[in-house]
Amino acid sequence: MIFSSELVKGTLKTIVLKLLSENDRMYGYEITQKVKELTKDRIQITEGALYPTLHSLEKDGYVTTEKEYIGKRVRKYYSISPSGNSRIKEKLKEFSEFTETMSFLLDLKTAK
Amino acid sequence: MYSLTNEQIAFIEDDIRRNGIETEEVRENLLDHICCIVEQTMKEGDHFEGVYQQTIQQFYETELKEIEKETQYLLTFKNYYVMKKLMIISGTSSAFLLLVGSFFKAMHLPGAGVLLVLGVVFFSMVFLPMLYVVKSKELKTAGDKGVLGLSIAMGSLLCLAAMFKVMHWPGANVMWISGIGISLIALLPLYFFNGIKNPDRRLNTIVTSVILVGVLGVLFMLTRVHRPVNNTVYQPTGQVEKR
Repeated sequence: MIFSSELVKGTLKTIVLKLLSENDRMYGYEITQKVKELTKDRIQITEGALYPTLHSLEKDGYVTTEKEYIGKRVRKYYSISPSGNSRIKEKLKEFSEFTETMSFLLDLKTAK
Repeated sequence: MYSLTNEQIAFIEDDIRRNGIETEEVRENLLDHICCIVEQTMKEGDHFEGVYQQTIQQFYETELKEIEKETQYLLTFKNYYVMKKLMIISGTSSAFLLLVGSFFKAMHLPGAGVLLVLGVVFFSMVFLPMLYVVKSKELKTAGDKGVLGLSIAMGSLLCLAAMFKVMHWPGANVMWISGIGISLIALLPLYFFNGIKNPDRRLNTIVTSVILVGVLGVLFMLTRVHRPVNNTVYQPTGQVEKR
């Protein structure tokens, strides 16, 4: 089953920050491939959602960037900033509480 | 692995630019991303343009510009709330300052001038510009934004002119008359013809235009158009001396 993009969209910032906190630096394509690989293709990040999120994280100061020129094109590498590191801790805590609440709300245990 | 030529890279960049990716940073990111996918998927004998078209179609639902719009939205969203807050705070405080200032002025209490100046400056230099920034985001056409911009500019010019008049500062009359003049000659027709095009807003536009003419007329009534202060013209005449 592939999860719907609406479901993924709300957690995209958390996913990106978490990946960056575990890897030195990553570029956009690498992020999408990594997510695909880790989730065995069940979560596919669309480019249309990824880049707006990356730009907004950059503006908020949660990630830093560096550019590398590869022939005629530029590759932008993203790495997590100190404020991003504390942000991801908050985000993870929030998300784990959210999943707990949702499984309670939707009564997932009895639904199994 | 296939390696794209410089011409092919230039072609992709040109194509995404033409499809509405205007921000350079977004374009650079997308260009690299597309190049990666194309280089990964292209096999011997594949046609470059075909592979490119297939790739780019996965990027959007209806048009590529969505990515640009979404980025701009996310980048401005935060500021929007800060500005809205600033707008409300500056609006409330300037209204309060103006109210207290005019009361002080009427009662000939000290400090009236400072209060009034602060009130008008806050109102016309902070509140009105913020109002433009916040409101213009809700408007879609360039015409609507232009009318809003001009009316806000004229509003703040007239407020400043009134302050200059009350404080007896030089230039008050020029500001006052040009404010009323530009509003009558440019803003009013622009507002009227822009609004009348839309059937839903026709009645509103007519009513507001009439009110605008009335208000401008009243303001003009308060205007003294006197000849330039010149000793030869304003030499006291015999009649005046007799009084």
